[in-house]
Amino acid sequence: MKKIFSRMGDGSALWLSEDELRQDLRTGTEDAADRGKIGPLSDDELERLFEICAAPQKVVSVEPGQEVVHSFDAGTLKFPLRGGVPVDRLGTVMAHERAFCSDTFEVGHSDYSFKPVKAIIAEERQSMEQIQLNATIPVYYGAMPNLGLYTKPDGPIDNWSELLPMGKVQEAREAQEEACEMAIQDIFFVAEAMHEAGSDGINFDTVGASGDADFLASLLAVEKLKKAIPEIHIEMGMAGEFVLGMHGGLKYNDTRLAGLYCHKQLELAEKAGVDIFGPVINTKSNKSVPWNIARSCTFVKACSEISKIPIHPNAGMGVGGVPVTSTAPVDAISRASVALIEIGKADGL
Amino acid sequence: MGGVRTAGDLVARVMASKALRVNEAKKYVADKLGISVFDLCDSQVMREVREDLNIGHVLARPGGAIGIEAKFRIAKLLDIEINSVKRFKERSECSL
Amino acid sequence: MSEKEIMQSSIDAILEGNEGKALATAREAVDMGADLVAVLNDGFSEGIRQVGNLFERGEKFLPELIEAAMIMEKVSAIINEAILKDSSVGATKIGTMVIATVEGDVHDIGKGIVISLIKTQGVNVIDLGRDVGTEAIIEGALEHEAGIIGTSALLTSTLNGQKKLEEELRIRGLRNRFKTIVGGAPVTQKFADKIGADAYAEDAAEAVVRVLELLGKSN
Repeated sequence: MKKIFSRMGDGSALWLSEDELRQDLRTGTEDAADRGKIGPLSDDELERLFEICAAPQKVVSVEPGQEVVHSFDAGTLKFPLRGGVPVDRLGTVMAHERAFCSDTFEVGHSDYSFKPVKAIIAEERQSMEQIQLNATIPVYYGAMPNLGLYTKPDGPIDNWSELLPMGKVQEAREAQEEACEMAIQDIFFVAEAMHEAGSDGINFDTVGASGDADFLASLLAVEKLKKAIPEIHIEMGMAGEFVLGMHGGLKYNDTRLAGLYCHKQLELAEKAGVDIFGPVINTKSNKSVPWNIARSCTFVKACSEISKIPIHPNAGMGVGGVPVTSTAPVDAISRASVALIEIGKADGL
Repeated sequence: MGGVRTAGDLVARVMASKALRVNEAKKYVADKLGISVFDLCDSQVMREVREDLNIGHVLARPGGAIGIEAKFRIAKLLDIEINSVKRFKERSECSL
Repeated sequence: MSEKEIMQSSIDAILEGNEGKALATAREAVDMGADLVAVLNDGFSEGIRQVGNLFERGEKFLPELIEAAMIMEKVSAIINEAILKDSSVGATKIGTMVIATVEGDVHDIGKGIVISLIKTQGVNVIDLGRDVGTEAIIEGALEHEAGIIGTSALLTSTLNGQKKLEEELRIRGLRNRFKTIVGGAPVTQKFADKIGADAYAEDAAEAVVRVLELLGKSN
């Protein structure tokens, strides 16, 4: 029987029989359903995923008229820094607007965390003002809450990653609570200033990377920002499919944050005032891309079904079914994108 | 969707400023432009629409609006507030 | 309690994070002359593996995992002391392992979890830190007379550090002196095979199993 070209989650090539492909799709959705305690994809949806994954074309696409918008994270890091193209941030924005035809873009500092931006806020504001004069597309300012930066040696607070292995659980929890308060102040300060500079919105990126306190700081900062500046637009992109319980006891609106999967994260983000939510589903490098795509679609569909705000799942390297490799193959990226839009009912990527 | 080559930036703006899901945002923009939802991503249709309305296009032309000039028109056309436009008006004491 | 009940109580005590129950179960196992190696490996250690799996699914959190690991250390001390007193029973496998996040990579949350769990098995784990160069990893392994070198890489751009370690060990004629184990989000069994690592673990719970296997191999 003819084998279907596919890939593993690490990007390496893989050839599957029809039965193997169907089996991977089914076990992928079942894994998500089991972990997230959500419904699996239907037979019809799995059949459509089979068609997408088994299509003989290298690149697949949605039908004309079904396109969705793209938002960005780490926008100005990718072209000039990671790509090594010698242009400044304004040049990067203009290249994305006029050459790559991006729907939106995001400006960020090379450190890409809220805390260090505080010290260079005047320069960041000036850059944003200049960019806003020249750009037609919406341009957001983005950074990560990155609670780790508040711990020694980078900050004043004892490092919970060191306290926990020593068994100092209470001290580690108190350190996270303290960092959370500091982060809220910094995020508010930076977001308010960049809003005043004309930014089209603030992108909270990789939220929850330092665990549940990181997520709490972001939710409380959003709440504070929306109260002070109701018209500010906020996008929130997550760090992982569930919130890592570094603290374990933190709550927002009486809901414990640790262990929350995407659809539960979304509910709290909505309550806080987030305008666009970006769920993240981690790609498993030792499972196939179809397995990962089915799994991602199951989580994203669970978000789309209950969401009142637009959903922009992360579909980049290592997330959303895209392989964990810095040169993610276009066959896999296009399949993941189509699947997230058609089956996950994503509003954007 | 194709950014300023199509209507990608416009749909993205409405999606964020009105917190609309994608299909609602597309319909809103299509109604404002007087075209079908299908045409929003047709670069041939949108070139003409964008040039006629002078709201910025992928091709740089003499007199063609870009940046803040294009956004002044987009805000009015879509009946949305664009933060940079609002601030430009405030700082320049412009009453447009 | 019967031996079967001892096993179940060992697992439950770790899963519940119940120190009193764990210590009482361990003492009862010693007093009744149970197979202590089995109680440690298939009882308490199984509890730790289950805690690791639940953590990986977002159903247990880091403080609970740490608490479980600390209870496990106390239980291991009681059982190991009893085992060593009884010369007819073989001592549990004990070895030394150095572990590091490779050069250019500062992620160490996962590494910390792996260390906590492996330590519960009576393995002496030396943490060389994060962003550690190949040379420093090898020097650390030699200095601590480690049997195993474990490395973690979270970024696709730092995977090469694990490959470089294998190459450097071969160049220096040290490859057969150490067992190597690799892990991290972008790492796969295929990658481990390609670079010539002795073992790969997908998560902390699997790392415990693989390290014990490597120690078995090296003994």
